[in-house]
Parts: sequence; structure tokens; C-alpha cells
Amino acid sequence: MKLNKRSVAHYALSNSPADQTGFLRTWGGPGTPPTPSGTGRRCWFVLKGNLLFSFESRESQAPLSLVVLEGCTVELAEAPVPEEFAFAIRFDAPGVRPHLLAADGQAAQEAWVKALSRASFGYMRLVVRELESQLQDARQSLALHRCASQKASASCRKPQAPDCWTPGSENGHLFPRDCSPISSVEERVSRPTGRDLVEFQGPASLLLNRGQSPVSPETSCFSTLHDWYGQEISELKRRWQQRAGESQSGFKQQDRP
Amino acid sequence: MRYNEKELRALSRQPAEMAAEMGMRGPKKGSGERGSRPCLAQPLGALLLERCRVVPEEPGGFSISFLEDPERKYRFECCSQEQCKEWIEALRQASYEYMRRSLIFYRNEIKKMTGKDPLEQFGISEEARFKLNSLPRNGRTACIGSQLDTLD
Repeated sequence: MKLNKRSVAHYALSNSPADQTGFLRTWGGPGTPPTPSGTGRRCWFVLKGNLLFSFESRESQAPLSLVVLEGCTVELAEAPVPEEFAFAIRFDAPGVRPHLLAADGQAAQEAWVKALSRASFGYMRLVVRELESQLQDARQSLALHRCASQKASASCRKPQAPDCWTPGSENGHLFPRDCSPISSVEERVSRPTGRDLVEFQGPASLLLNRGQSPVSPETSCFSTLHDWYGQEISELKRRWQQRAGESQSGFKQQDRP
Repeated sequence: MRYNEKELRALSRQPAEMAAEMGMRGPKKGSGERGSRPCLAQPLGALLLERCRVVPEEPGGFSISFLEDPERKYRFECCSQEQCKEWIEALRQASYEYMRRSLIFYRNEIKKMTGKDPLEQFGISEEARFKLNSLPRNGRTACIGSQLDTLD
């Protein structure tokens, strides 16, 4: 079976963040015969995401081996020789032997077992989904709270945002095609939408503090954000025109700046 | 670099995010082959998707290339624009780095709104990989894979 080894090896050696590194002794893993004395072979291990690489030494220019950490469990183990601080990566697959590893001390053993058991893409995805729904809940309850507290105010304008929160194409899509990663999203949120907007006494004025977006809709979807701010601007335009004494009959509510 | 082929084959039998039959051409000349049906044959190969770039290719397909050699492309032919779009979207979000960035993003948003760190309940709030500064400092490498589409 083919694998893009060159790209993977490049990733292993790149400056991408390593989640765990350290020396471990290894036995009986594929291609790693136990040494005669049974103490295992000492290698430098690097965990990046769900990929566990081993190297001959810290300075090696090529990984010795790779274990893809999906569909496996990690547990404390008894080494072939009475060996302390050993643990095993076990795959639920026929004919696949567990990878036996041993750390130099208890702290390292615990750290590795923890890191490896949470290394899978599947685990990350579970956590991300959970956080996604927590964020939605937090936004909705905050928006409802604000709405309730401002119902008495004459200038109250219920944000249209909740309509944009219903599960749709944005769910699960953190960065839609026309959006850039985190730093740019935050830039967009904090960009001032106009000096004059501070005179508007609605919920939007609270959002114009730089870098804060407590009640805006999904900041991950720029078009939603744009529409939402656009409504406030439309309202302002309307008021300015009213003050100027112009007739409102021809004014289109759909206008966007 | 050794890897355990049996493990990867076992992985290929786990429920798939997406599955389809597509024409594929590897970066080497003359290496065209058909992707195997998911429930039948053994996998022909695997591509580990870290630091990769997925872009549409005319006509009706897309390519995957990797950071260290962007001209070396794995090309795929789709049977429809719809299929093409779906795969490009799914592949772009399939990297561990993408997941990590999503997690950090949501963590920060929730912290800002509620004042609480949502990772505490999982017992992983101290892990270095979930801290904001664990993202690659090199601006270029941080953007590769999610932002290259805007450069095109």
C-alpha cells in the first residue's frame, strides 16, 4: 500500500508544533526487534497531532517509524522484562501487535499515556463539536437576555441574528471559503463600521468596542456578520434621512452600505 | 520510514467521512489508477493530509499537493461539480491542524463570552497544543491549507 512518505517525513521534521516529545524505549514494534538484553531500543519520539514518529536521535534527519494514532487505545502495560513505566498502544485489528513503549519515569509515563490517548483526530472532533454547541448555546442565551432587557427601550431593535444561527451551511464550517483563519476573522469583527454609529443607541453600539463581539452572530461566517451590521447601518441611514426631512416612501429597507 | 501497513488498512475499514470512486493520477508520470471501491478491495494507498493544499483543477476535478513541493500534485477527477466542491471542502477541513485551530477558536470565544474555560471539564485546559501560541509562528505556514484558496 502506498503512502505519501516524503510529505509525512517533511511534516515530521518541520517546525509544526510537537505535542509531546521525549526518549522512550521500544520493543517488538514492527521492524524493531528486541535487543538481546531485553531493555528495548531507546529512540526519540515526537507526537504531532495524531502521528507518532520515532527517530534514532534528536538530530536525525529522517524518522525511523510512524504510528497513525486512530482507532487505538493506550494503556499501562507489563513489559517483557519487569520494566517500570511501560505502556502499550493497542489497535483493534487482526494480526496487529501492540506497540510497547517505556518511559524513564512515572511522570513521563503518565504524560505520554495522556497525550497518546487524546491524540486521535476522532477525539479532537468530539471536543470541537461539543465546544461548537456550547458556543451556540452561550450566544443564544446572551442574545435572548439582551433582548429581554431592552424591550422597554424605544430604540430597541431585535437582532435578526438568531435566524442566522439555525443549523445550516455554516455549522461545522469554521472557515467558509471566503473567510481566512482566526486572526483575520477577529480583525473583521473589530473594524469600525463608522464613527457616526456611536450615536445609535441600540444593541449594535455595544459591539463597536474593538475586539469584542458578545452578541454578534457566528463570527465565523463573514457574510452573516456583514448582513447583521448592515441592518444597523440601514436603520441609521433611515433616521438621518428622516431628520433631513426627506420622504421615506422610496427608501428600501434592503439597502446595504 | 517504517509504518504499520496493517494498522492503516484497519483504519481504512473504519466508517468513512466520505467515500467515492474517482480517477486519480499521482505526481509521477504514468501512475494513473482508479480509486478502489470502499467495501471491496484493499486500499491502494493513503495520503496523510497535513500541510496540504487542495485546489480545484480544470476540468471538473481537484488536486492535493504538499507544502514542501507544491508543484507535485495528486490529481483527482470528479463526476460532477457538486462532488468536486464537497470533496474539496471536506479535505480542507480534514487536517489535524484545522481541527486544532477550530478548537482554539471556540475555546477563546467561549472564554470571552462566559468567562469560563470550556476545556476544564475535559481536563485538558493545560495542554500546550490547545494554547493560542501553539499555532505555528511562521505566518506563512499557519495559513497554508486554509488560506491558499484566497491566493489563487
